[in-house]
Amino acid sequence: MQASDKSLEAMRNFSETYAKRSGTYFCADLSVTAVVIEGLAKHKDDLGAPLCPCRHYEDKEAEAAAAYWNCPCVPMRERKECHCMLFLTPDNDFAGDQQEISTEQIRATTNQY
Amino acid sequence: MSAAAQVTDSTFKQEVLESSVPVLVDFWAPWCGPCRMVAPIVDEIATQYEGQIKVVKVNTDENPAVASQYGIRSIPTLMIFKGGQRVDMVVGAVPKTTLSSTLEKYL
Repeated sequence: MQASDKSLEAMRNFSETYAKRSGTYFCADLSVTAVVIEGLAKHKDDLGAPLCPCRHYEDKEAEAAAAYWNCPCVPMRERKECHCMLFLTPDNDFAGDQQEISTEQIRATTNQY
Repeated sequence: MSAAAQVTDSTFKQEVLESSVPVLVDFWAPWCGPCRMVAPIVDEIATQYEGQIKVVKVNTDENPAVASQYGIRSIPTLMIFKGGQRVDMVVGAVPKTTLSSTLEKYL
């Protein structure tokens, strides 16, 4: 099931703004970006915080409260490390040249789920 | 359709630990972007090494027991099992060459 439109828009806006502010780029394959943004928005709906969708947690509620893996996570803020491949530094082999993604682009991918 | 079968908490022992050939396990989650990049590589590996290894996938959201037992944190994580033991691990989206050279050690 997909996230609410409200959370998706919030996370889409956040992703664009944070990429520009941090000098990072979305993945050359924007379907990767789309899935991660939808995952963040779902966690925002379910947990109240955009917990990273690329990790396994024993207890998601506790992790969201701890905030370490809430996007942008501590490794991203400190070292620009995003193993989810949402925010890639320009030297990353997978980095594209986009810092923007539309709701239509996101849902074109996640509608298939 | 994927060449790799889905394995669950209840079938993991039989399908992975008791397998007579080495097993590559792809631990993935539905909203994990890089898992999308690894999936086709894992499928190619399954085809390329057919008969020599078994390739399976574990959805960590639906199978938290196995994911926790093997200490899965970052997703995707690829693990290689041989003779019921975890013998190697690759974390994150990696090129096919990295994965096949890791696998070759256990054939």
